[in-house]
Amino acid sequence: MTLEFLRPDAQGAVARSPMERQALAAGARMAVRDGWNVAVAYAGETPDAPVTWTDSSHLTKLEVHGRHDLTPGLASRTNGAWWCPITPDRTLVIGGARDAVEDHVDVTTAFAALTIAGPQAREVFARFCALDLRPQATPVHGFRPGSVARTPGFVLREDEDRFLMLFGWALGEYMWTVVADAAERLGGVPHA
Amino acid sequence: MSRLPAQPGQRIDRTQTVRFTFDGRTVDALEGDTIASALYAGGRRTFSRSFKYHRRRGLLCCAGQCPNCLVAVDGAPGVRACTEPVREGMAVEHLNASPSLDRDVMAVTDAVGGPFMPPGFYYKTFIRPRRLWPLYEKVLRRAAGLGRLRAEQADREWRTEYRRRHADVLVVGGGLAGLNAAVAAAELGADVVLADDGPEPGGRALVDGRHDHARALVERARQAGVEILSSASALGVFDGLAAVWQGQTLHQVRARRHVFATGVIEQPLVFAGNDLPGVMLSDGARRLVALYGVRPGARAVVATTSDRGLESALALRDAGVEVAAVADLRATPGTAAATLQRGGTEILAGWTVVEAEGRSEVRAAVLAPVGNGSARAASQRRFECDLIVVSGGVTPATSLLAQAGARTAYDPARGHFALAELPEGVLAAGDVAGAGGLEAIELSGQIAGGDAAHGLGLGDAASRTQVQALRERLRPASARRAPEAVAPAVAGYERGKCFACLCEDVTAKDIHLSVEEGYDSIELSKRYTTVTMGPCQGRMCQLPAVRLMARETGQDLQQVGTTTARPPWSAVPLGALAGRPFEPAKRSSIHPRHRDLGARVLWAGDWRRAYDYGDPQGEALAVHEAAGLIDVSTLGKLLVAGPEAGAFLDRLYPNRFSNLQPGRIRYGVLTSDAGRIMDDGTICRLDDETFYVTTTSSGAGAVEQWFSWWLADWRMDVRLTDVTQGLAAVNLAGPRAREIMRALTDLDCSSEAFAYLDGKRARVAGVPSLILRIGFVGEVGYEIHFPTAYGQDVWDAILEAGAPHGIRPFGLEPQRILRLQKQHILVGQDTDSESTPYGAAMPWIVKLDKDEDFIGKWALEHASEHPGETALVGFTLADGDVPTEGAAILDERGAPAGQVTSARHSRQLGRVIGMAWVPAALAADGASITISDDRRTLRAAVVTKPFYDPDGEVLRS
Repeated sequence: MTLEFLRPDAQGAVARSPMERQALAAGARMAVRDGWNVAVAYAGETPDAPVTWTDSSHLTKLEVHGRHDLTPGLASRTNGAWWCPITPDRTLVIGGARDAVEDHVDVTTAFAALTIAGPQAREVFARFCALDLRPQATPVHGFRPGSVARTPGFVLREDEDRFLMLFGWALGEYMWTVVADAAERLGGVPHA
Repeated sequence: MSRLPAQPGQRIDRTQTVRFTFDGRTVDALEGDTIASALYAGGRRTFSRSFKYHRRRGLLCCAGQCPNCLVAVDGAPGVRACTEPVREGMAVEHLNASPSLDRDVMAVTDAVGGPFMPPGFYYKTFIRPRRLWPLYEKVLRRAAGLGRLRAEQADREWRTEYRRRHADVLVVGGGLAGLNAAVAAAELGADVVLADDGPEPGGRALVDGRHDHARALVERARQAGVEILSSASALGVFDGLAAVWQGQTLHQVRARRHVFATGVIEQPLVFAGNDLPGVMLSDGARRLVALYGVRPGARAVVATTSDRGLESALALRDAGVEVAAVADLRATPGTAAATLQRGGTEILAGWTVVEAEGRSEVRAAVLAPVGNGSARAASQRRFECDLIVVSGGVTPATSLLAQAGARTAYDPARGHFALAELPEGVLAAGDVAGAGGLEAIELSGQIAGGDAAHGLGLGDAASRTQVQALRERLRPASARRAPEAVAPAVAGYERGKCFACLCEDVTAKDIHLSVEEGYDSIELSKRYTTVTMGPCQGRMCQLPAVRLMARETGQDLQQVGTTTARPPWSAVPLGALAGRPFEPAKRSSIHPRHRDLGARVLWAGDWRRAYDYGDPQGEALAVHEAAGLIDVSTLGKLLVAGPEAGAFLDRLYPNRFSNLQPGRIRYGVLTSDAGRIMDDGTICRLDDETFYVTTTSSGAGAVEQWFSWWLADWRMDVRLTDVTQGLAAVNLAGPRAREIMRALTDLDCSSEAFAYLDGKRARVAGVPSLILRIGFVGEVGYEIHFPTAYGQDVWDAILEAGAPHGIRPFGLEPQRILRLQKQHILVGQDTDSESTPYGAAMPWIVKLDKDEDFIGKWALEHASEHPGETALVGFTLADGDVPTEGAAILDERGAPAGQVTSARHSRQLGRVIGMAWVPAALAADGASITISDDRRTLRAAVVTKPFYDPDGEVLRS
């Protein structure tokens, strides 16, 4: 394949999130899963926190070019993957199996990701993001490109109180700091 | 103590004591008290000193509207004591008085400074002799301002943040109109935010006996899902975005409909001594009684223009205050007057107050009848009292509405500026909309809330019918308004200072003088006298100032008009506007390793980059002698794919790419449509339809936008993907680089198999990579691009494999030395917005013979025929002086004719080298140039070919 150098598919090397050190500093216990070094638990994690944030950077992300029939602003869940329409002829596929998607550009490591979940999730976003994430504007499965903490990003509402936020990989450390700062004020904790 | 027995609806809890300090002395307060209510209950009457004359000021509005009770709390100045709840242990200090609030030496300005301190006195009194201005300025600066910030930065910082809130409806104002509007909209399904600047929603209802009704409405609003922001001041309206400041949070509310129920602001009367402690607005006196159980005085005189003052007189009398007299400006006082009269209060119809007597607080009030708009002193009466309650009518709080686009017009019947026109999507309710009387206020709120919801498509036919019915009830309800009199512009003008503006100490006489001096419009007078420019933002002074201006100019009030409403409507700390600092910093995936290695990390564009590892010259030398490794992940990286990808690049660049062979690399300079250099980088053809384009680090975003823009315009069959952050990249360079590569990959790295400007895909340290055989630093080099998640592992593997060969990491600074040795340009450093490839000594990059048009072709054709006046060349200095980047190149007459763009000392070459734009005539090897660098004049020799490996033999080896 022409673009295999884009695919995080190393032999022997471990793939690392740009927020790995922040997770470690927050008390993460790490383990290698499917070639990625991921947090599997946090010291002192409380299950009933009003909001949590989770490093989801390891999720597969594929860019597919070509016309699609997705509804603008709404992601579609198919075979374990989110199909997110960016433009009428550009789709971002998050999660799921690579091989199930033909003719894609692997952008897994172009975007880092954080999952922000819990009843206070929208309040956390409100501290650094002007996107309208109310249910009437961003329903479940809503997908919003926009500015997050003054950088370009995407927000996908996976569930009522669960949002997946994508942003540039190089901004991982910065974004962790922003989200942690906002979430901790609201009683939030990192979550594995 | 002046605490009253329990009052119905009081906010205080008499079982809970809160202790705080005021100017170091302990004060016992009750839970629910404000700072002001607690201090007043303890006997304090002076709360601040005025801005200019340092006159004593006492409580006036008790609602956060006026400047009279500004204090510092825990070091933060500008806090209104009348609305700030007490907290255990808080340290409250006075402002603007020295050595103490009760003994302020600057009060001498009030006694003797009047004639010397007219409007604009600092431009007049202190202008001569000019040499003393620095001294004057120091004194004035020390005397000006309200309060002092803490000396240490850490002590004057506190956390502030933004909160973005989208809503269907924003209601500003939590009185009965606002609450009804919020309830009505929310019950029709709207997502409603209500912002109220008081500590508890309810507005006047909390103090006029309808507190239970107000609190029931608050509960109903909450049940309907209304988000209520208390102690939240709306600061301004900006194209639909309302900024609301609450505690440490600035809410940026973006609502689809706005309902302003901002009410009215009770106006003071302008008379001699109207700022003396003990002169209080009628609403303020009632708040003290009703909310905090504090008796505002023992014996009161009331001066009013409407029933508002009479109602306050009744409330005060019920609270045990002796009301000696009521001066009602109306010829026929309201019905409450009879009740008061029966209780022994003297009612003086058609009278007003002309003077407040007393040194430190009110001792007596002088009343006089009014005829033809001015008080007649001959018939004056004097009443001993310690409280003068004034009510000079009201002014609708239209400032936020005006910011939202509403228009006001003067209402001569009420003597104020009333709403005349509302923009679409903006509604008004309650007093501010002219609804008079309790029923009308509530009805107008319900109508506004209903209209807001209906405007958003909520509700149904039944709800619309219901709102229409309310509208029909509103008309007669609004018509039932008690008559009011219009307050005179000033009374007792000749008796002493009559303040129009309490914030800025502007008197009626000051307005008179400003008009005399030609500042005869309200906007000019505002700028000259600073009236309306203080912390109250015109709440207390705009209408009095307009009335005075009308009196002085002979115009009517509509002609005088009002000043422009501008944010902030309420005083706000600058930190609130700043919010949380966000400084997006990009870091490569190898960044943690740079930290581990002790790199000096600096900003480079929006990236944090390793500048060096402590020894830039040594790092550069290592690249020549063994091998070096630099993190170049910051390079922009674009995939350009599709059947027309080559043609697309041919149109964008002045050279060709459609004829580039797969697996080969070509340098490209991107030019604008004016033929100026925008960016540069390499382009590797991966296969027939796929190109891998790199850009400069700082130009990545702009190039991606440039490509996207043209792609949208040309509609070519091309797909563009930005993989800048998806791929890490390192440059392994040096004479030992090939050997190190052999240890890391199965690829044949011989010069024959992997030649200069080849691009190959292979695994490096097990990681799938694209390897570009290019060299920015002048030695054999491999630029390895791979998924960024492996950044640290690949970096570690290369350093480990290179350790036996003497490899060293090198940073941005040694890279700059190395590239300078090769005279490789840095776009933006060695070029500017006027640089063309011809001027930058790269004519070979422009292929004017291309069949297709390309961006900048016409301009480049022109440039090829008209050589520029300056050219970019290398230079070297005989001695060791390194000229400053930006230093001037002089022509033969000694005039600046160019500039140094880069200069470094090269340990490898043993001399100073650089690049500069020089007069075209000097762009020849060996030409002597003169560099003027601050106070130095340096001589340098021009070198047009690279300083190191001029023929590129090392690079290609």
